[in-house]
Amino acid sequence: MKTLYLALKYLAIALWSAFVVFPFLWALTTSFKSANGVTGGATWIPWVQYEPSLQGWQSLFGGVGGINVVKPFYNSLVVTLSASVISITLGTLAAYALSRFTFRFLWMRNSDITFFFISQRIMPPIVLAIPFFLMLRSLGLLDSLPGLILVYVALLMPIAVWVMVDFFNGVPRGLDEMAWMDGCNPIITFWRVILPNALPGLVVAGMFCIIFGWNDFFFAFTLTFTETQLLPVAIVSLNSSVTPWWSLSAAALVSIAPLVVLAFVVERFLSKGGLAGAVR
Amino acid sequence: MAEIRLAKLAHSYGNGTNALKPLDMTWRDGGTYALLGPSGCGKSTMLNIISGLLKPSEGRVLFDGQDVTDKDTGARNIAQVFQVPVIYRSMTVGENLAFPLVCRRVPTPRIKARVEAIAERLGLSRHLNSRAVALTADQKQLISLGRGLVREDVSAVLLDEPLTVIDPQMKFELRKILKDINREFRLTMVLVTHDQNEALTFADTVVVMNHGEVIQAGTPQELFERPATTHVGTFIGSPAMNFLPAVREGDRVLVPGAGLSRTAPADLPTTDLTLAFRPEHAVAGGPLAGTVTRIWFEGADQVLALSVGDASLRIRAVAGAETVGAIVRFDVPQDCLRLYHQGRLVA
Ligand SMILES: Nc1ncnc2c1ncn2[C@@H]1O[C@H](COP(=O)(O)OP(=O)(O)OP(=O)(O)O)[C@@H](O)[C@H]1O
Ligand SMILES: [Mg+2]
Repeated sequence: MKTLYLALKYLAIALWSAFVVFPFLWALTTSFKSANGVTGGATWIPWVQYEPSLQGWQSLFGGVGGINVVKPFYNSLVVTLSASVISITLGTLAAYALSRFTFRFLWMRNSDITFFFISQRIMPPIVLAIPFFLMLRSLGLLDSLPGLILVYVALLMPIAVWVMVDFFNGVPRGLDEMAWMDGCNPIITFWRVILPNALPGLVVAGMFCIIFGWNDFFFAFTLTFTETQLLPVAIVSLNSSVTPWWSLSAAALVSIAPLVVLAFVVERFLSKGGLAGAVR
Repeated sequence: MAEIRLAKLAHSYGNGTNALKPLDMTWRDGGTYALLGPSGCGKSTMLNIISGLLKPSEGRVLFDGQDVTDKDTGARNIAQVFQVPVIYRSMTVGENLAFPLVCRRVPTPRIKARVEAIAERLGLSRHLNSRAVALTADQKQLISLGRGLVREDVSAVLLDEPLTVIDPQMKFELRKILKDINREFRLTMVLVTHDQNEALTFADTVVVMNHGEVIQAGTPQELFERPATTHVGTFIGSPAMNFLPAVREGDRVLVPGAGLSRTAPADLPTTDLTLAFRPEHAVAGGPLAGTVTRIWFEGADQVLALSVGDASLRIRAVAGAETVGAIVRFDVPQDCLRLYHQGRLVA
């Protein structure tokens, strides 16, 4: 019985792993194929039986008919990380305030203000495209990294606020009260007492921000021309009338790499019990 | 260390709950107090007002004659220990203990000395460098207490049912530590509890509350001998005080059929009277007689339930050979008989 259960369990895990890993395997092999390798098909073993070629990877690093992915990659990294750090910082402060103090703005109370933040993400992005474009133009920040960072902060901060308000609500108020009693001012209370308890929340919020920021195509596309290119836009420019599967696969792997690294780091953190018992 | 005075203090919560009715009260400097009362009677509300976590809707709070009603919790320099231990999870035990001093910008060498002294006193020295989360519930509670004690000038230590989540065995230990600390540091301490034993053994003044009112404040002795209301008499002491419906006949008050009586004060009304005495105050032998209906063995003592005439009551007696159904003779000294009118002590 026990063996059967174990066998089934491992079978399920194996199936799931295959399901998750195959797209990567597919992309990896395709990135080393030439046009013939992609369309020809294999006689015996797929994914192995083909003539390897570096054409796909070369086209990512300034090869013939390709692009240079280094600059956009760097741009994406800068924009995503800066916007995430700013959003998390501002969002966490806003969330703590919303969770602990009572605010009233016209008819709106704390929960309405929180919802106002989140509601920014409910609108379809296209609604924001023109206002953002006009605002950045009047600031002279179109097609520039600071401009993109600014826009991304506006997009990511609601996520940070949303995640962190929930997290702070889960941290007992008794902890704040105890800290006041011990003579802390609200800022030290937040920094030394509450924030360490909300660390898992920061990780989750950070993860969301980085993923959303990194993957955004729409604003990267609408708010830049030629000077400043982010990775998703650069990859799209690889496309042509004959789809270059090999270059696209290589590009997909490059753009996914940072998220894979992030996933591993977060997984480490979670498995070390970072989340478990974070709140009493 | 401070004398705490509550002047015309009252509190109702935003939703209209009238948690504290207007009261005046003084907590002596260096005294130990126990707040005793049923759930929801306003004990925590009172403590939170003293510590400043709650702003009273009426009245003032004075520390050593100084009005602190509008001061923040931090400025009042109060230590409060709650039912559930509150510890800073990200810090070690030592950092937890040092935190109030760090917040108050005490010089580092001073902090170190103070933390070591308090840890030593509370038996936490071995754990100073462990993460605070790793400790047991009673040790965590000691950390909460220790954070109050590291401040030498703490105005008062308020303990809101701090022993509820502690093992019965550790409770005894902790209570002893609390008592010793009070003696050593001469701190004003207020202990909220449901447990009358805890209250009577810990405090030199016990404050009994009900429905947001202070019903009686006095030494354990006073509470035991002269409960201000029948409620206090029932609440304090085990077994509870005997309350017997009584009538007035001339200048005496008596329990019909039981033979218990005492002189009546001059202006005593004739209805709604109760005579009461403590089971402990009954003495063996005498004019009164009752049939034993039940026996509770309590070591050297036993508690006998008697039916005397129409009344049933309990007396505490030396363990002996009485059996259910036997007749027991006893007496209640006149000065131990209390008289209540409408539930309030008259004489
Ligand atoms: N935040 C609050 N808002 C509204 N009503 C409250 C609040 N806190 C307490 N109350 C009410 O005030 C009354 C007194 O509460 P309090 O917590 O002081 O009682 P307590 O004596 O400490 O009880 P317990 O022994 O259960 O701790 C109760 O009726 C309670 O329901
Ligand atoms: Mg309470």
